[in-house]
Amino acid sequence: MVDLSDRQIGAEIVAACRSGDRDAFRALYDFYKARVYSIALYFFHGDQAAASDVTQQVFLKLMTNIGQFRGDALFSTWLYRLVVNACMDAARQRKSEAAGSDRSRLESVAGPGSQEQDYVRTQMANSVRVAVAALPPKFRIAVLLRYFEDLSYREMAKALHCSMGTVASRLSRGHSILAERLKGLTETKG
Amino acid sequence: MFTRHVWRQLAAHIDGELSPQKAGQVERHEAQCAECRAEREQIGFGMEMLDHLPPVEPPDAIWTSIESALQEHRRPKRSAAWRLESRPFESNPWRWAFAATFVLAVAGAAYWTLARHAGTRWDVVRIDGAPVVNQKAIRGEGRIGAGEWIETDSGSRATVKVGEIGSVEVEPNTRLRVVTARPGEHRLALARGEIRAKISAPPRLFFVDTASGTAVDLGCEYTLDADKDGSGLLRVTKGWVSFQWKGTGWKDLESLVPAGASCRLHPSVGPGIPYFDDAPESLKQALDAFSFERAGFGFDKAAYGALDVVLAEARVRDTLTLWHLLSRVQNEDRARVYDRIASLTPVPQGVSREQALKLDPETLRRWKDELAWTW
Repeated sequence: MVDLSDRQIGAEIVAACRSGDRDAFRALYDFYKARVYSIALYFFHGDQAAASDVTQQVFLKLMTNIGQFRGDALFSTWLYRLVVNACMDAARQRKSEAAGSDRSRLESVAGPGSQEQDYVRTQMANSVRVAVAALPPKFRIAVLLRYFEDLSYREMAKALHCSMGTVASRLSRGHSILAERLKGLTETKG
Repeated sequence: MFTRHVWRQLAAHIDGELSPQKAGQVERHEAQCAECRAEREQIGFGMEMLDHLPPVEPPDAIWTSIESALQEHRRPKRSAAWRLESRPFESNPWRWAFAATFVLAVAGAAYWTLARHAGTRWDVVRIDGAPVVNQKAIRGEGRIGAGEWIETDSGSRATVKVGEIGSVEVEPNTRLRVVTARPGEHRLALARGEIRAKISAPPRLFFVDTASGTAVDLGCEYTLDADKDGSGLLRVTKGWVSFQWKGTGWKDLESLVPAGASCRLHPSVGPGIPYFDDAPESLKQALDAFSFERAGFGFDKAAYGALDVVLAEARVRDTLTLWHLLSRVQNEDRARVYDRIASLTPVPQGVSREQALKLDPETLRRWKDELAWTW
């Protein structure tokens, strides 16, 4: 697989995608798939079916609307705007369903934990997942976008349809809540 | 002068997103405000904690679904949703791609003619009630294609004909999606409920994805059920099923389940260890404890006690279970499992204790092939 940077994605690959190049789409998908899927997976409390649906929906929209991308912004900003919209829309639709089943779904992305060396790591990861999943959706999507994509605050503001100040505020609050919930975990670990 | 608290800007400051002027204001405030200093530490700690979230690779089936959906939508009979999202053909940059696809489709007409029986849409036959395909109730017969769902309520059942290789009965209260419907790959995704698959085809042509992994047909008949939380049970009545689970980068698992055996499934640990349905109840219960109590990290002593029971209760036929246990137990317990299998049936030539305890793949495969005569 070609090693691609976001800048290259913006220029070469998007141009090829516009001309209907299937391989270019595949390259685009391969470049972003893990980040898009991971954001959706952790956003939807470990629900793999929901994450798969969102990932599919995002890339289908991307492929059908790529002609609208004019290249005056980072490609990733546009992509993550689609991700945010898809996650928030789906979250609104399934609000009641998601609320009742957080715990079990979170465990569905856990590692096997059958080896001692995996145990602590798995337990820690599970605790972080639980804490992330418990964040209010607007904080959760901001934290996940920042962590998995490392977007600038300006890009995040575009993706989240809000001001940079709001981005900063949500990230501060979100990380603070996470820390509060996870403090006990590290204390017990010593 | 004591200024307003700056907690809202602390993440931006840590991330280097503030202008020098604002950063200076934040730092001056922090110098005199213990509360904001503590908040800064807390936010920094929250950021560090995220390093424990590994990125997760999506299932391969997603790309397949995207391609299938694009192919479906490129056909003349497009859905209303697609029409809304698409721009007119004249201004659509995809028109050349569509045209090329069309030309290719014409060129490949012979292939498609041969393949269409198992093509992109499969027959659905109602058995009871009113099963729903793609949100439309089926009264007699219908069709289902890649990316579409079939759903049954408590009073409905249906049969999906899987191309030309077999059929799947969809039991009540089931939600099932066709992921891929091609001659070379027949793939379903079971969200919840129960299916009964009867497949007559070469191995690895029929797959069912679940939250706990993927059932890979090796020429067989089986029932597969999945709860809403992703846990479930695979019960094989004919042939073999390989149930495969890709761990989140740490460990992959495979359980081989022959006719007459079952395998419990759990979304956080994948397939359990298979067991024969006629195995002693005490063995089955102990196996459950060994396989799944660890899923909630209520591990360890219960698991060790359970292993003792499994080893004590195993019959010759239960070497199916013991063979799978070899690679799932802790290193220090592996020799006990090896010795128990060896006490039940002679170790064949070419299988050494040393290599088996090292989990040498070729040794394990050879041993399994011999043991399978008793399964």
